[in-house]
Amino acid sequence: MRIAAFLLAAALLSAGENDSFLIRNATVHPVSGPKLNNASVLVMDGKIAEVGERLQTRAKVKVIDGRGLHVYPGMIDAATLVGISEISSVRETADISEVGEFNPQLRSSIAVNPESEHIPVTRANGITAVGVLAAGVSGGFGFGEISYIGGQISLMHLDGWTWEEMTITHGAAMQLRLPGIETRRFNPATRESAATPFSEARRRQETNLRKVKTFFEEARRYQTAKQASPATLKTDLRYEAMLPVLEGKLPLLIPAAREREIRDALAFAEQEKVKIILVGVRRPGGAIEEIAKRKIPVILGSPFVPIQEEDDPYDATFTLAADLHRAGVKIAFASLGAQFARNLPYQAGHSVAYGLPYDAALRSVTLNAAEIYGVADRIGSIDSGKYADLIVTDGDPLEIRTQVKMMFVKGEPVDLESKHTRLYKKYRARP
Amino acid sequence: MRRATLSVLAVLCAVMAATAAETPSLVAIQNARIVTVSGATLEKGTVVIAGGLIREVGESVTPPAGAWVIDGAGLTVYPGLIDAFSAWGQPAPPAGGRPAAQPQPRPQGQEQPAAPQRSWGPEDRPGTTSWVKAADQLDPADRRIDAARSAGFTTAVTFPSGSLIAGHGAVINLGGESAGEMVVHPLAGLRMELNARGVGGFPNSLMGVIAYFRQLWLDAAHYQQAKEMYDKKPAGLARPAYDRALEGILEANRVVLPAVTRVELERMAALAAELRKPAILRGAHDAYRATAALKEAGLSVIVNVKWPAKPRDLDPQVEESYRTLELRDKAPTTPAALAAAGIPFAFTSEGLDAPRDLIAAVKKSIDLGFKREDAIHALTLGAARIYGVDNRLGSIEPGKIANLTVIKGELFDSMARVQMVFVDGKKYDPAPEPPPARRGEETR
Amino acid sequence: MRIRTAFILLCCAWALAAQQPRRTLGEALGKKQPLLIQNATIHTITKGAFTGSISVVDGKIADVGEKILAPAGAKIINASGKHVIPGMIDCHTHIAIDAINEGSVSVSSMTSVADVVNAEQRSIYYALAGGVTTGNVLHGSANAIGGLNTVLKMRWGKDAGGLVMAEAPPGIKFALGENPKRQGMAAQQGSQAARRYPGTRMGVEDVIRQAFIDARAYSFQWKSYEQSRAKGENVLPPRRDLKLEPLVEVLEGKRLVHAHSYRADEILMLLRLAEEFDFRIATLQHVLEGYKVAKEIAEHGAGASTFSDWWSYKVEAFDAIPHNAALLREKGVLVSINSDDASGAEIMRRLNTEAAKAVKYGGVSDNDALAMVTLNPAKQLGIDKYVGSIEPGKHADLVIYDGDPLSIYSRVEKVFIDGEQYFDRETDAMLRRELDAQKKGLLEKEKLDERQRTPARRPS
Repeated sequence: MRIAAFLLAAALLSAGENDSFLIRNATVHPVSGPKLNNASVLVMDGKIAEVGERLQTRAKVKVIDGRGLHVYPGMIDAATLVGISEISSVRETADISEVGEFNPQLRSSIAVNPESEHIPVTRANGITAVGVLAAGVSGGFGFGEISYIGGQISLMHLDGWTWEEMTITHGAAMQLRLPGIETRRFNPATRESAATPFSEARRRQETNLRKVKTFFEEARRYQTAKQASPATLKTDLRYEAMLPVLEGKLPLLIPAAREREIRDALAFAEQEKVKIILVGVRRPGGAIEEIAKRKIPVILGSPFVPIQEEDDPYDATFTLAADLHRAGVKIAFASLGAQFARNLPYQAGHSVAYGLPYDAALRSVTLNAAEIYGVADRIGSIDSGKYADLIVTDGDPLEIRTQVKMMFVKGEPVDLESKHTRLYKKYRARP
Repeated sequence: MRRATLSVLAVLCAVMAATAAETPSLVAIQNARIVTVSGATLEKGTVVIAGGLIREVGESVTPPAGAWVIDGAGLTVYPGLIDAFSAWGQPAPPAGGRPAAQPQPRPQGQEQPAAPQRSWGPEDRPGTTSWVKAADQLDPADRRIDAARSAGFTTAVTFPSGSLIAGHGAVINLGGESAGEMVVHPLAGLRMELNARGVGGFPNSLMGVIAYFRQLWLDAAHYQQAKEMYDKKPAGLARPAYDRALEGILEANRVVLPAVTRVELERMAALAAELRKPAILRGAHDAYRATAALKEAGLSVIVNVKWPAKPRDLDPQVEESYRTLELRDKAPTTPAALAAAGIPFAFTSEGLDAPRDLIAAVKKSIDLGFKREDAIHALTLGAARIYGVDNRLGSIEPGKIANLTVIKGELFDSMARVQMVFVDGKKYDPAPEPPPARRGEETR
Repeated sequence: MRIRTAFILLCCAWALAAQQPRRTLGEALGKKQPLLIQNATIHTITKGAFTGSISVVDGKIADVGEKILAPAGAKIINASGKHVIPGMIDCHTHIAIDAINEGSVSVSSMTSVADVVNAEQRSIYYALAGGVTTGNVLHGSANAIGGLNTVLKMRWGKDAGGLVMAEAPPGIKFALGENPKRQGMAAQQGSQAARRYPGTRMGVEDVIRQAFIDARAYSFQWKSYEQSRAKGENVLPPRRDLKLEPLVEVLEGKRLVHAHSYRADEILMLLRLAEEFDFRIATLQHVLEGYKVAKEIAEHGAGASTFSDWWSYKVEAFDAIPHNAALLREKGVLVSINSDDASGAEIMRRLNTEAAKAVKYGGVSDNDALAMVTLNPAKQLGIDKYVGSIEPGKHADLVIYDGDPLSIYSRVEKVFIDGEQYFDRETDAMLRRELDAQKKGLLEKEKLDERQRTPARRPS
């Protein structure tokens, strides 16, 4: 089946205009609005030109018959290591841990390997864009966390000959790890968790927080100095990179798993007057209302992680998304790693089983991420003017048994083969 | 008010504190309340000590001629209190938890580098010093002995320390010039621990430790069989190599195993059944939930009365589990539960800052419904019975060792004070109460 | 011969000593209320799916069919619109134990996870809530030859003995590849302390071969001893060796080998090594490159217990493909899908979704996918006479889902083990509220106690 889809895509390629076509007779799920039965999507020059139930066929474009198929916007993994981490246990294959405490000047985009095996594997399941982290975050698969400011998350298409072609935006958010009160610290050398007395851990947090605040102050002084005399100021790439953050243009992406960390992050945002996104929220407790009230978006890691506290309900990780949604928090799902990035739709799907409304689930893997990163004018839904990042499926993409039949990134048909399908075919044919 | 009384008393005690050398061999305490433990309590009775033994006890006993008579008005006489698990008189464990004794040479005689010993299997007898006897390394000058006696203890079961098989505990009387005088029984029980981290190499996990014990027991049985065969008819037979580790196992009258939670108690009960020796489980905070299993397995228990407490300087965001909270709440009800289930048990002051804190800790259980007489029993005859020395210790009966704890008032009353103790018939006065030790500081 | 038997009995006694349930099953089974689950979509696994009823008497499935009689006095559960599957079986997990690895030695067959079962670990409840009723609890993968396993039923609330599935044949863990050689490689990275042979895949083979040579010699020692005894000689029996006894059982076909493996080369190596010693590998665990040597695995007759879609977390997992389960099955290998969960029991909460991935990748049928988490692991563990499908006479280990069991949207509603209800979502909600209330009470009480104590504290 998948071969057929590829052949179809190849046929389109040879038709001259690669990035213009019409899908018709399909069930279209724009996400921004209600689903359209028996509808068409017209793509012109890589962008969505028109969506509707009665579109006129234009002579020049190829037509894809979508009978029995569904069209969705390509999914977005809001924070991932796809492209910069190949084999998570081999340090050399992962560019996710820079030296130094403050590295706002780093952009993950330029280290994304277009030949990474993770890219075809991930997109084969309907994911067309990812937010690539500049540093590993807790809850994900990374090597420790050294930096407070890890760098900029880049939003990348999962198709392109070079990272440049893949880049949607270099700076979608700035990664900030706020120092927390760590009374249970994992020591990677001994592979053991050592307990620190609370008062000591709090002192350590204060010291480290002062460092972070000092850095922000320095960046602010730089900002003022630059406004005063731009010509004489010696360029500092670190502070330069901080300017959009200070101007409120670039949000900070802050990992905050539990209530105290969340409140710390909210307080920091208030003090520094910056925009923030919370990532990796796991036990928000009483802070949920505060997150909602302040309209802080949340990027959720996988619900497929162990329960954190002994007395938590067995399904606490499954119901989290519903809890946040119910309170009015905008959520997007993220793999926070590479190996399970393809399971992004199931993160949302399983949350539906535990209370998240279906439409909200679908949004949480498409439009919400685009909105959180301020690129909803380009990706996230099937609306005219956006990139034609589309998937054509034989059913609901949040269901495991559903197959992605076709994929288009910026209107270009995308090969759904991967290392996995190649090995499968090779060894299936072994006599 | 209370402090003033204490300091006056402290001065008095200091004056009175004396060696027991001058105690006459014939002593009578009369007009005292006598809690015999083995029989009825005498509201106003007399107990006569002669030659270090109890000669007579009763309401109508007359002090014999020539006896030193002590007026017991206002005093209560108990059998000497017993701490069922201590390290009093024992050398401090070496830093790092490794046993001080020399390791067993490797069976194949392989060259060992000077570097830290690494155990490669049960054959290396990791963490094992089963040949060590507390009785052999007893230091009568250990100041902890005085502190214990001043707190009303006349007897303790003291153990060597070690990672896995530490060695044999001894029942000792807490008075005497020499170790030899003090020892009541040199083979009280074999102390076993589950501290895999104290060993380099095998075993490094709990299941490795249990597997090791199992193999060690098989090896001991095999060793015994080999020795018996050889002893019967040495001619033509290869002589079995002497193995002090296995000799130590074979000598054990009983084993003492650590177990605090219900899961651990049940696990150690299962292990004990395999070891085929009478077993005592120590720790036992959670035993109130495990009485059925303990009863069925016929085990004895030593309750550690350093009750679990909320950790200091705890991160307020750390959510303590229901189970943790419940154990903290219910652990002090364990003694009553054990008593109700008819499980033999005793107490240890292990982990407490000072021996006298044991009484206060047991009082907490009494406040929760544990009967005083059961508490006294556990501190005296109960403890003696667990170690099989109840025929000589633990109650006020003619013929038994004259270990007595004499309290002004009654044990567990808030104003009660240790007036004097008799160890092997020798009278000791309590030393003045030392200033409270700072937390974490060992009282030695 | 008699003594030989005695020796075997002794071996068994040791195994049993560690595994024997203290509370007998019969005790619980005797007076259980019969049960009728009606109007459900029943996935029997062996005989397809249909809408009908299941009756349960004495903890066993009494009848299954479209129209069956309710047993006298049965509790009736109307499961209209719901789906019932056999309790899932996880062929590789590390839940419910307080130690996973005895990693100090390259052969740790003297150890058994049965000794460290923790019946109060929450993971048991998580697994139960996910519809897993039986788990093959294995020793870790730090050693070429690891410790002994225990097969547990998730009878939450019972003690360690009460969890044991007494019917399950004994097993042992082996491990190949990166994990068992890791400690041997440590020295290369500058750590002198922990270096342990082997440090290569060749070394792993050597360790296993040597162990079986030792086991043979050990077995021979006992045989010679028995012969001498039979002749009336007064000879000392050999020293019993708990490390070698389980290996003798493997050689005699009495103990199942569950071998952690990744790469095709090491898989093939183990198959040939086992053939050299004339025994069969029961299951290759994880077996991520199994698809490359599916033919050889099928010929040897080993089962494969794999992950759904894990890959790339280490070098030896870089050729892992999610089609592994489907492809192995297609080539004639008996396949199950496991969780490899530790105390978090994360995947066991949703093992059904892992099975669904075999449908997605490789086009396995729904029924065959469900078999990968029910009947197939039962066969691999030698317990398919008792569990793994919905058939009369089998244990009434049943899971009621609110929808299609392979759907990401379905939730487990009720779980029965031996006909007894161990999980129910509504009850769970109630228990949560109770727990919250009790916990609050304890916290308040403690605070009160603290306040009362504070003024009385002696100044120090």
